[in-house]
Amino acid sequence: MAFPREVYKALEDIVGKENISENIGVCETYRCVPSQSSAHYGPTKNWTPRPQAVILPKTAEEVQNIVKVCNKYGVEFKASTTFWSTMGYIGGDYALQIDMRRMKSIKIDAKNMCAIVEPFAIAATVQAEAMKVGLNLNIPGVGCSSSTLANFSTWVAFGPNSISMGYGNENVLGMEWVLPTGEILRTGSLASDDGWFCGEGPGPSLRGLFRGSFGAAGSAGVCTKIAVRLHPWPGPADFPTYGLAPAYKADFGPRIKCYTLCFPDWKSWARSIQYFYESDIAYSGHRQFNMFGRNLKGAMIEIISNHERQLSDLEELLNDPYIKEQTEKMRHDYQVIIAGFSDADLEYKEKAIDYILEQTGGWKSEMMLQKDKHDYALLYLTRLGHKNLNYVYCGAYEGVLGLTGNVWRAIEVADEAIALKRKWELEHTSIAASGGDSAMGCLSGLGGGGTTGWEFFTNFDSYEQDSVDGTCAFVETTQALMNKYGFGPDFCRWNSDVRKMNGYNYTQEEQNEMFKKAAQPWVFIYQYKIRELINPKNLCGSYVRTLDPKVLEEQQQ
Amino acid sequence: MALQDYRAMMERCSNCACCKFIPFDKVKSLRFAENCPSIGYYNFMTYSARGRFQLSQSLLDGRAELDETITNAIHSCTSCGYCDIGCKITRYNLEPLEHNLEQKAYAVENGKILEGQKPLIENLKKEHSMIPGTKKENRTDWAKDLGLKDVFKEKADVCFFAGCKYSYDPKLQKVAQNAVKLLQNAGVVVGYLGAADNCCAGRAHQMGFFADFKDRANANIKAFETAGVTTIVTPCSDCYHAFKRQYPKLGSNVKVLHIVEYIDQLIQEGKIKFTKTVPMTVTYHDPCHLGRLGEPYVPWNGKEKKIFNQIQIWEPRRPRYNGIYGIYDAPRNILKAIPGVKLVEMERIREYSWCCGAGAACNESNPAFSQWTANERITEAKATGADALVTACPWCKDNFVNAVDENGNKMEVLDIIDLVQQAI
Repeated sequence: MAFPREVYKALEDIVGKENISENIGVCETYRCVPSQSSAHYGPTKNWTPRPQAVILPKTAEEVQNIVKVCNKYGVEFKASTTFWSTMGYIGGDYALQIDMRRMKSIKIDAKNMCAIVEPFAIAATVQAEAMKVGLNLNIPGVGCSSSTLANFSTWVAFGPNSISMGYGNENVLGMEWVLPTGEILRTGSLASDDGWFCGEGPGPSLRGLFRGSFGAAGSAGVCTKIAVRLHPWPGPADFPTYGLAPAYKADFGPRIKCYTLCFPDWKSWARSIQYFYESDIAYSGHRQFNMFGRNLKGAMIEIISNHERQLSDLEELLNDPYIKEQTEKMRHDYQVIIAGFSDADLEYKEKAIDYILEQTGGWKSEMMLQKDKHDYALLYLTRLGHKNLNYVYCGAYEGVLGLTGNVWRAIEVADEAIALKRKWELEHTSIAASGGDSAMGCLSGLGGGGTTGWEFFTNFDSYEQDSVDGTCAFVETTQALMNKYGFGPDFCRWNSDVRKMNGYNYTQEEQNEMFKKAAQPWVFIYQYKIRELINPKNLCGSYVRTLDPKVLEEQQQ
Repeated sequence: MALQDYRAMMERCSNCACCKFIPFDKVKSLRFAENCPSIGYYNFMTYSARGRFQLSQSLLDGRAELDETITNAIHSCTSCGYCDIGCKITRYNLEPLEHNLEQKAYAVENGKILEGQKPLIENLKKEHSMIPGTKKENRTDWAKDLGLKDVFKEKADVCFFAGCKYSYDPKLQKVAQNAVKLLQNAGVVVGYLGAADNCCAGRAHQMGFFADFKDRANANIKAFETAGVTTIVTPCSDCYHAFKRQYPKLGSNVKVLHIVEYIDQLIQEGKIKFTKTVPMTVTYHDPCHLGRLGEPYVPWNGKEKKIFNQIQIWEPRRPRYNGIYGIYDAPRNILKAIPGVKLVEMERIREYSWCCGAGAACNESNPAFSQWTANERITEAKATGADALVTACPWCKDNFVNAVDENGNKMEVLDIIDLVQQAI
């Protein structure tokens, strides 16, 4: 149902007619097919609903006024930045899509080591501006193509740098937040007019309210500006990139190095990670290139680091004896970056790595020490580039078997998980057959170490219905394994109770049905009460899990 | 191909955002990180390559229609091709530029064109020129008294093809004349097509007028064959792209050189020598159709194949146009060879250069968008501290001449031939 003229006119008056559209063709381009991009509820070919209009605000005040109009007329709304994830799309038929593209400023506060960013400032640009003053940004696993504000304020946000820079919520400082009612809330030091530098005060933090651990994915209002923590960067002021597209590389000088460390088995692999937790020497730690699968990664590294190579070369490269040997040696591997803040610091870190390898029987991958491979991996992991590797060979992927948590616990399940995926690869054609083990992710999602963030990349073809359906069926089996070991919802099921497979939001009644059976229903009642307080008309999607207390009361009677 | 033939690409787009930004590994600032003029100006997703893929699905499935807004969105693309380069950093099997062109052709076939496009195409059909108001009989007026050989009657080392802009624009005719004299002074016997000189129609192709492009292209190919032309030299980047990349698909075998390639070669051979110093700091703008779209056409006939269940490859191996083999070094070699000239680079260069805004004739059909695009480039050029912006395309130069930076300041804009001439 199109918006009544009164509603559209009220919105148009806020942003001007060139920054709002209700054209059907335009609105059609603000729909998402969850088999094409991240949904976290499994791939489907269902489109999210078409918004009735799309609006492009320029200021927080405009956002505030838009939200007030939505409240007045009962219009659902959702703000999004790069629109990569399904989470940012509206989920109802009478809804307004807010495109935050026009708000993209970045201000670097070098003294207080933070960046004050608007929604459309993607991590690549924040990082580029930060590096000019010797600082760097924690770019989470989603990559530098995504919004820093969205990453840190509304979703999980851990990645390669988390081992030295912390989990997403550890990086959020002051925040400017348009509540779903249209009021503006400023948190941390910002609330007492003391600037952006502190998330905890003086002034209310409320960080847990807005994003908690997982984030509300836009269902708690619109964040219009945040300060994020910046971290020391001992490298160059910009990337000294060389090479030809798409195989760009960079040499950051002698004090920053990237190693691919390999181990004889999972136990020594896990023990080495424990050493990294204890020694505090890693700038970044990630199991990156195993995303291509245990069998294919050596050949794929050769392809992606050489601009002349193509996927058509894959089969030929797999027969190369050197690549075969190197791939085999990288079965239990991960990448680390060490950054020396002085020559002595680097020397210490090098020695520490040697010690870790000695203690665990590990080794440095010879292939990844070659200059072109080293410089490719270093640049990729530092910029956490562009998600190209996620998509390069099939165009679509899901992360399954999310063995997130204690590394020792994860490896107990690893071989069974690998066998399960390998069996599926051999018995079905729906997913890429890459060798079973395609587990990738950060060494630690928490600063200093403590919890891994693994997922098994499962690549499929979003154009082929059988491949999409088969991937969904595979997800059922991986979830069964997750349940068996008590890992909870699989990576690709994290959102299955906050948006329906048909792309629509859950109604409160539907959420009541789900959460009244939960082991700890009071959590959802608590969230319901918060939602009632800040979002009484429930206008921005169902990504906050809520349970109406009356339902529980009735159930208990 | 027809629009529905791109269905797989539409559904396989990963929405990774690479079509909107320069390669992320190359980002040096917030200010110059983006690289799609169309979404840069209009802001709605619809105007990006991702949005265009999505829009095509909606059009084909009957959910959207070719109304005025959508017709404008489809044609408000300069066909600069950056989205294609950005996409190919992520994906090895999508062709956003080809899709965008096919989407334009779909609109054209359905009679949905912009008012500003009509006079261009009418003039192309009638007078074989893409500049409204120009006449066939005046096409070679610029070449009078230059001693050019008519290649239908006399032998020449190369056939000089000026293109519409240099042929008709009084401000640019002198540049074409200087180019010819430069070659002649280097001992080259320069010919031209004489009365058979014609528009290359490359810009019609960029606009989605495929039938009109083919008509002119076939006529030109026939003229080259009849006259026995083996090598064409052109100072126009749009002509260069048409001859180098599009004409071979229609059977052309002629060797094609942009004037910068030829001058660079003549400098290296010692046939062009600089005698004067030009004390100037310049920055160089890579024209889209000479740079990222200037890679040679490589014939390929094959199909998609899947290996390891779902990994998509081409069989046989398919040429990959990701812009890296465009013409970038020749103009820079020339600038570096000119005594006194100091070259400073902008942030967006080579395969990820920002467009001038004149592509696909947007300077005629959508001047506000086109001018904004040019202004963006002047802002970037000014940020280098250069005295002048140098380019190697008449359309780029013309669009930059009236452009201003974000503070309203103009900048001197030079054709690279002008600069070479100043040093001789």
